[in-house]
Amino acid sequence: MKTRLPPPPGRDWTVISLMLLVLLLIVASFASLPLKWREFFTLDAVRSTLELLAGFAPPELATPFLIKTGWAAVETMAMSALGTLLAVAAALLFSLPASGRMGRTARTAMRAMLNVLRSIPELVWAAILLIAAGLGPFGGTLALAAHTAGVLGRLFADALENAAPLPEQSLRTNGASASAAFFYATLPQTLPQMLSYTLYRWENNIRAAAILGVVGAGGLGQMLKYHLSLFQMQSAATVILAMLLLVAMVDGVSFALRRALTR
Amino acid sequence: MLELRHLSKTYGNGRTVLNDVSWQFKAGEFVAIMGDSGVGKSTLLNLIAGLDTPDASCSADAIMVDGVALASLDDDAATRLRRQRMGFIFQAFHVLPHLTLVQNVALPLLLNGMPTGAASEMLAAVGLGGRDHDFPHQLSGGEMQRVAIARALVHRPALVLADEPTGNLDPDTAHSILELLQREIKSTGACTIMVTHATSAAAMSDKVLHLSKIGIQETTNVKLFDQKTS
Repeated sequence: MKTRLPPPPGRDWTVISLMLLVLLLIVASFASLPLKWREFFTLDAVRSTLELLAGFAPPELATPFLIKTGWAAVETMAMSALGTLLAVAAALLFSLPASGRMGRTARTAMRAMLNVLRSIPELVWAAILLIAAGLGPFGGTLALAAHTAGVLGRLFADALENAAPLPEQSLRTNGASASAAFFYATLPQTLPQMLSYTLYRWENNIRAAAILGVVGAGGLGQMLKYHLSLFQMQSAATVILAMLLLVAMVDGVSFALRRALTR
Repeated sequence: MLELRHLSKTYGNGRTVLNDVSWQFKAGEFVAIMGDSGVGKSTLLNLIAGLDTPDASCSADAIMVDGVALASLDDDAATRLRRQRMGFIFQAFHVLPHLTLVQNVALPLLLNGMPTGAASEMLAAVGLGGRDHDFPHQLSGGEMQRVAIARALVHRPALVLADEPTGNLDPDTAHSILELLQREIKSTGACTIMVTHATSAAAMSDKVLHLSKIGIQETTNVKLFDQKTS
């Protein structure tokens, strides 16, 4: 008796149609945007770019300026750390109703609020809060906290919802109260994941804190805006290098901590 | 110790799971309950534990635990009763993976505000002495069930409910687990009710009850269940 292979599955036209649609969107996007590639690569454009870049070298290395840049870096770091910390506290609070533990209505309402918080970019939050809180790092910290609370609140809520229910049910069966079962069974399961999300958002917030300075929230961003507006390119170069070093340092620490958590 | 009086349970879809179940369980007894799949064995354990409620048509004293009617207790009081007077052993062990073995065993003591020193002794009693700081993922199935037994008995409950405790174990391990359970419940004097499909497990109990659609009755012919399931 000859064995025959079954016929091949039919072609999935849904996937092919979607791919063609995406290709069409890409082509339409390029066609609708006034991208002037040729002008970007003309001799004049290249010469102007090189002249601008040459203006950054060498960076300003005078000791008083380095000290000033150092303090600005500390301010940026503090903004990001404190903003993230405030966001974590808020997110833990918001995640309980958002995970459905207090009913469907509370879940829907809280998730809507978290969506609002995280849909507004940090720069917009900063623009609003700097009017209320005044110029300086305080407004910047609150802006970071507001946006990050929305992001972390949603992530924490999802982690709680997806936690294995069996350990908590087992404790409830054994006579634990609802809160004891949550703290002994569910929260320990989700804590490593929450810490990992927190560290990753802190990484993002270092970069965001640097940018917020541009709108007056202090730190390295404010220094950068000041020196660029006065065309003090060498000083601006020092500030940019400080930003790069700060981001690299925080990235490294965050990576090491997240790796330790997952071992 | 535990008395069931004309207990019935019907689910919302109209399916009657338990019908007029009456029995008295004495302190220190080791009772096995057997029956066909879907006859309500696990439902019976849930009702005894206060995790489910009997039909509204049942009397208020349908389930009496040490003279207290379960129906008279609110949710908090029922939770307190489970915490203080009952221990549970599940088929799937239900050992918390993020806690060490001694922390798992100590949970009922912590929840009852009792000193936790007995947890280490209990682990030694079930053959896991010296492994207090190991984690569940380092254990075999039989060892995890030993931890579950230790946790169920550490706070000296009056009533132990075991739902298929050997369901996930090979025959040799199951036998040693049941010997351990027998020995420990005799030393604590707990009334133990074990739901099981395994005739070998039922044979190690003091008494075997057969649960069916018409109620519950004692049986001495456990081999009948082998014939039915083969």
